[in-house]
Amino acid sequence: MSAAVARRKPRDFYPYLLVLPVLLVVVPFFLLPLGVLLRNSLYRDDPRLLLVPDTTLVNYVKLLSDSYYSGIFLNSLGIAFLIALITLFIAYPLAWYMVQQKGRKLTILLWCVYLPLIVSVISRVYGWMVITADSGLINSLLIWSGLTEEPIRMLFDPIGMTIGMVHRYLPLMILPLYSALNRLDRQVLSASSTLGATGSQSFFRVILPLSLPGVFVGVQLTVAVVLSDYVLPLLLGSSRFPMVAPAIHDEALSMLRWASAAAMAVLTIVAVALVIVASNLLLRWLAPWSRAK
Amino acid sequence: MTRGRRFTWFGLYAIVVCGFLVLPILAAVILSFSSSSILSLPPPGWSLQWYEAALSERRFVSGFYMSLRIAVAASLIAGVTGTLAAVALNNYRFGGRDTLRLLLILPLIVPSIVIGLGLLQSYTLIGVNGIGFWQVTLGHAVIGVPYVVYLVLAAMTHYDIRLEKAALSLGASRLQVFSGITLPLIRTGVLAGTAFAFLISFDEVALSLFLTRGNTLPLRLVQHIQYYADPSVAAVSTLTTLASVVALVAAGLILRRGARRRAMEP
Repeated sequence: MSAAVARRKPRDFYPYLLVLPVLLVVVPFFLLPLGVLLRNSLYRDDPRLLLVPDTTLVNYVKLLSDSYYSGIFLNSLGIAFLIALITLFIAYPLAWYMVQQKGRKLTILLWCVYLPLIVSVISRVYGWMVITADSGLINSLLIWSGLTEEPIRMLFDPIGMTIGMVHRYLPLMILPLYSALNRLDRQVLSASSTLGATGSQSFFRVILPLSLPGVFVGVQLTVAVVLSDYVLPLLLGSSRFPMVAPAIHDEALSMLRWASAAAMAVLTIVAVALVIVASNLLLRWLAPWSRAK
Repeated sequence: MTRGRRFTWFGLYAIVVCGFLVLPILAAVILSFSSSSILSLPPPGWSLQWYEAALSERRFVSGFYMSLRIAVAASLIAGVTGTLAAVALNNYRFGGRDTLRLLLILPLIVPSIVIGLGLLQSYTLIGVNGIGFWQVTLGHAVIGVPYVVYLVLAAMTHYDIRLEKAALSLGASRLQVFSGITLPLIRTGVLAGTAFAFLISFDEVALSLFLTRGNTLPLRLVQHIQYYADPSVAAVSTLTTLASVVALVAAGLILRRGARRRAMEP
């Protein structure tokens, strides 16, 4: 491919002309605002003046030492890794099955995976409210079958939120796994079975290691999106189990503590970046061949 | 034989997972036809009253138009700027290319609640009111850009740069090359990317929280769920889901017909 890429003369301004419009959108409306957040996170909050210029780490110290704030970050990171783990275990066998299919069966499977991505998040939330409510589908079934007499509380609870998030983010785990397993060389698999590997040996020694890059992409994506989820914690979760995105909103618009909210936003980005960098390092160590690209 | 049986177990598993993926969507559709306002499934009876209620609720209708305007403008901005950038990334080597590639994927990783807060604090810093059509639309355009760039780049994996060089050497202008050669070849990616940017914008909640008066459709629906939770929300989301599925299927059919027509040309 790279041989086909044109090597232009150094003075050619054409590629920069193509890039200019997107920079006019992304620099002032994305990059600079992130810089403003970073600067504001070093300011002090004042009940009357909103923001007082300063250069202090007092907001960060508060976020890390106050158990309310550190609890928010621990909750969110814990849920993010939990969702990544659950979706990974659900998605892997399905992605493996999808790779074996073709034709109409594959089309139906892909539609099932893409459908939740197309449908609005409100509709999915409402569906889960209907299913997990006290008079909803699961509790009706439980009471009808005699397993319980009282409905089990799931909605407005971390359990209901977790179910909703597993559903919302399962496609984001399935798709990278599917494409990683799809790229796998079939000849390697038949080689391992002709050489006498059992099913589980081929899986743990051949398939799983070769699909690790897909696993890591899925986990990184899932952790990032769970940390940024606002709607599901708000509508399916409980205020007794605060999550970071609704907490940033409250801090900025209800409490009007802009410096503190900016520091929370910066810490969230740092958390996402740390997860991505750490997992990339782990992947390099576990699967050194994936670096070849 | 064992092979056949193992595949059946996998098949059953696939059906269960697909059921899990489709279940809540189906539940919302079913409940939108309920005759009761209680969240109970199966519903006690059937009616169209929630569709009537939804369509006569002025807050939903105005929210729909607001979201539509934002999503159209944001996806057009993201579609045009993202496509041009993707073409540059794919076809040319230039200083800062790798940095640009990272920068254009970044809005996907940075939580949109952070982008929204950053925009609000930036507008305030330069003395602009944070709430307004363009203030929120440009934010939505930013989160649409990665989808456009990614899908256009995907459509260019087998792109042959020699076609452009040939046209240039035969005396075509840069504009002629772009509109006559590049654009027709990457049309699928451009359309898919813009459609995705539209859907993402139409569904965006966290960013709009800071930059609107809560008057987009998703925000109105969130408020409605918090206070009433009646099935009119299900009716609205069933209608918008139907619209997006119809639009995607139509776009797919148009693209396929175009491909066939091109294939039949000598």
